[in-house]
Amino acid sequence: MEFRPILSALMRSKVALVLIGLQIALTLAIVSNALFIINQRIENMGRASGMNEADTFMISSLGFGAGYDVKNAYAEDLATLRGMPGVANAAPILTVPMSQSGWSEGISLTTTQQNSDVGVAMYFIDEQGLDTYGLKLVGGRNFTADEITHRDVRSTSWPNIVMITKALGERLWPGQNAVGKQFYLDQEKPPLTVIGVVDRLIMPWPNISNRSGDKNAYEFSMMVPQMVPFGLQTRYLVRAEPGRVTELVKAVEAKLAQTNTSRIVREARTLTEIRAECYRSDRAMLIILIAVIVALLSITALGIVGMASFWVTQRTKQIGTRRALGATRGNILRYFLTENFVITTIGLALGAVLTYGVNLWLMQAYSAQRLPVLYLVGGMIALWLLGQLAVFGPATRASRVPPAVATRSV
Amino acid sequence: MLKMNHLSKVYRTHMIETHALRDFSIHVREGEFVAVTGPSGSGKTTFLNIAGLLEEFSGGEFFIDGVSVSGLGDDARSRLRNEKIGFIFQGFNLIPDLNLFDNVDVPLRYRGFSAADRKRRIEENLARVGLASRMKHFPSELSGGQQQRVAIARALAGSPRLLLADEPTGNLDSLMARGVMELLEEINRQGTTIIMVTHDPELAARAQRNVHVIDGQVTDFDEEPRLRVPENGRDTVATTA
Amino acid sequence: MFSYYLQLGFHSLKRNPVLTLLMVLGIAIGIGASMTSLTVFHVMGSDPIPWKSDKLHYVQMDSWDPNRAYDDDDQSMPPDQVTYRDAVALIEAGKADRQAVMYKVAWPVQPENRDIKPFQSLGRATSGDFFALFDTPFEYGNGWDRAQDKEHARVVVLARETNEKLFGGQNSVGKRVRLNDVEYSVVGVLKEWKPKIKYYDLTNGSFSDPEEFFVPFNTAIELKTPAAGNNNCWKNSAEGWEGYLESECIWLQMWVELENATRTAEYHSFLDNYVAEQKKLGRFPRPVNNRLPDVNQWMKDNRVVSRDVEIQLGLSFAFLVVCLVNTIGLLLAKFMRKTGEIGLRRALGASKPQLFMQHIVESGVIGISGGLIGLLLTWLGLMAVRGLYDYFDSVARLDWPMVLATIGLSIVASILAGLYPTWRACQIAPAAQLKTQ
Repeated sequence: MEFRPILSALMRSKVALVLIGLQIALTLAIVSNALFIINQRIENMGRASGMNEADTFMISSLGFGAGYDVKNAYAEDLATLRGMPGVANAAPILTVPMSQSGWSEGISLTTTQQNSDVGVAMYFIDEQGLDTYGLKLVGGRNFTADEITHRDVRSTSWPNIVMITKALGERLWPGQNAVGKQFYLDQEKPPLTVIGVVDRLIMPWPNISNRSGDKNAYEFSMMVPQMVPFGLQTRYLVRAEPGRVTELVKAVEAKLAQTNTSRIVREARTLTEIRAECYRSDRAMLIILIAVIVALLSITALGIVGMASFWVTQRTKQIGTRRALGATRGNILRYFLTENFVITTIGLALGAVLTYGVNLWLMQAYSAQRLPVLYLVGGMIALWLLGQLAVFGPATRASRVPPAVATRSV
Repeated sequence: MLKMNHLSKVYRTHMIETHALRDFSIHVREGEFVAVTGPSGSGKTTFLNIAGLLEEFSGGEFFIDGVSVSGLGDDARSRLRNEKIGFIFQGFNLIPDLNLFDNVDVPLRYRGFSAADRKRRIEENLARVGLASRMKHFPSELSGGQQQRVAIARALAGSPRLLLADEPTGNLDSLMARGVMELLEEINRQGTTIIMVTHDPELAARAQRNVHVIDGQVTDFDEEPRLRVPENGRDTVATTA
Repeated sequence: MFSYYLQLGFHSLKRNPVLTLLMVLGIAIGIGASMTSLTVFHVMGSDPIPWKSDKLHYVQMDSWDPNRAYDDDDQSMPPDQVTYRDAVALIEAGKADRQAVMYKVAWPVQPENRDIKPFQSLGRATSGDFFALFDTPFEYGNGWDRAQDKEHARVVVLARETNEKLFGGQNSVGKRVRLNDVEYSVVGVLKEWKPKIKYYDLTNGSFSDPEEFFVPFNTAIELKTPAAGNNNCWKNSAEGWEGYLESECIWLQMWVELENATRTAEYHSFLDNYVAEQKKLGRFPRPVNNRLPDVNQWMKDNRVVSRDVEIQLGLSFAFLVVCLVNTIGLLLAKFMRKTGEIGLRRALGASKPQLFMQHIVESGVIGISGGLIGLLLTWLGLMAVRGLYDYFDSVARLDWPMVLATIGLSIVASILAGLYPTWRACQIAPAAQLKTQ
């Protein structure tokens, strides 16, 4: 096509070129960076927790009164829950993945190591915990009923066996089988021995910033064979038979309230709700960014339509002259499409620089990652297409300018 | 070269029909320099638009170089226009964003000549109108007469057989007008057929033949050397009844 | 003359409805997006207690692990809470004008009225100074005094809603309330008190609702009430509640009121001396690093305005720029299309300044129209934000300054966008245009 004359014609109307080019450049910068953020959020939100989320819910009981016996409450409640129709299994818990609250500890491999830089989320369960969470055991064995003990929140001692996640094992003993290995939570106390390894169980705070550089840090979890009441509060995880979770939440709430009146039954939340809550701000950001992208592309497209229409109107005579000189409709159409392609390309070149400028700012101010070039290319292709689509209408109108316009005296 | 038989052109707007041309017949032979005169609104420009394939006509026949124009599609008309016809407008119609070289280049681009061929033609024709030295200038940097010369160069660049000029000197002072007329006569001498629309009798007098149009009809014409042209086995008379 | 320009502006808007619609919508969408995020940003970052925010200081001391800074992201930042030992020592020293230690507790409320079921309630165990420190408004009664702090009095201050629930909104001062099986006597009831940002405990949720009740700090400690909020330890503690109180675990927030910069400097050196003393006892293994940020600084340190909100703000203003560039283009197109009219006006004697005013007013008219629609979009946008983030209820709301700012911004923006096209329009020569028309 006739790039050079188009380009030289454009250079004669620099303002228009600058306006559309700037708009395209800004649009590219925003769209590619936003797409990158969106993709990261989607990746985050899509991470599996490792547990059965579809059929589980947690529920808490807060006792009051001097006569309230927490150990008793555990035994009674677990018996009640496990006996209810529709309940596949139930277990005493402290927390669940994504709930944002829980207990963490630092791990040391020796008694002399000073800096315990591996932060681990603690899950306190009984022998039914593995099954209730729906975790997959990939090595070693589960706890047995006689290994489960009661723990006071203020206690400083630890049981001598634990289960850990595969990711944690890999972090502590790369390439080795973690079963049988030992580590310390308190260097002045005996070590703990790993008896089992589960495939995956993410932390209650999966959005934890990843400082250690280990991208699996959010999977560093450990299971301890203990029941830990928080004051007079006990908490349970219930796994319903498939499809019955909604009806069971109500039934369990009512049943627990009825079995013991000196307590408050509360916080019945399904894992589906907990997941939604955990990723709520990610989801919000996602929706806002998508809305911005859509609005931005529409505005840019409308801007191109507006400017192109204006040009067509302004150049009616010129188009007529070209037609009189033998240009076909196709020639005129292609002229405007090519012109738009040239402007868009100039804008995109500037936009590419701007895109990495914005990315650099995000990297410095918000420790974002470097933008993969793929997003830039994707944004460019999208804007090329958008430009051609937007200009198609005015260009078609231009091609319909009758050649007789040329002889009409001005 | 150009032959119109009983051509009519009707503009319809809302309820009113305007007959811009009615029963219009004319025959211009190869190599002629014909001036079409007439008062404003007589249909001169409509005739020129139809002659230059810029507009459709409502009835009658029209041949260019023996080819019937009716029934040709838009693209075919564009091509015919591009190859056989050169245009000179009253308002020059140079593209202000393009320099002289690129302006003359416009029809050649649509013709699909090679780059070298185009360059040769542009330089040749700009030289022919005496503006070879100003190829990189923009139209706004030239006088009216110079602009019209560029328009002529552009019209000639594709070596058309027919040159259509619409009041080519209408926007020029007499000195410049004379120069442009001399250039047109020179071009005609070299073999290009020219049809010039004008309302200036002095200018018209310089043409070989005058056709006078009033109310969309040819009312008067110079004596034509060969009235009858045997073509397509039919006699065509370029006269009114 | 101005009204004539206005009239011309509106007339011009009607002349190319599609182009006008594009421009007005362009401005409106840009304004809507930027004002939505600006409102959230503005309210989130706004001073919750402007009349004394510079006198309220949060107490930070670096009692953390010698091998590892408390905050990996910002190594110079001391822990965001204090230990029980240190809090008690500072309260007892009483060097500030007012001082309050506090933590979040969760207790069941057992109403006397058997018809109301016991319910879980979030409260705050704190010092008597709390109420004067944060200027909490009282409906009935008062807070408790320092003497009652000392003697672990069984007294409670109820929030308005709790009083509504338990006593039907009556003056309940002197009445009894049962919390976690212990009886308290009501000494005060607050008026509606809902700071948009819960600035006094940013550790446990910047946007959580304020507490439903307040009890003396020493009372909650005596009853061995664990913190319902954040608790962090770097060292293992001794067994039991006593061991916990003696530990290096941080779980308390501490605020002091200091009248002026001199008092602040004095308090700072008091803290430095305190830490130096403690170092002799083998505590505070890290370099001395005490901070006394005021309310606004503390909000900044805690990123009350989240990164996402900041990114959204930047994004929406970039978006507004795109909308403006778009409007410049369209205005240029519009004004250039009117070259004939402008030439005619010039020929009829309009001066350049007059034409300039006319077109600036026309841009302003577009701005006002865009601003009004933009206001509607902002309102919708904030509604959407409240739907997307459940805890933004208090911050994603329009107030009058923001409404005026919205209209103002759109007028300024559109006039800015109109400057270049107007200048271009004024360059049109009168004669040249008439000749070709």
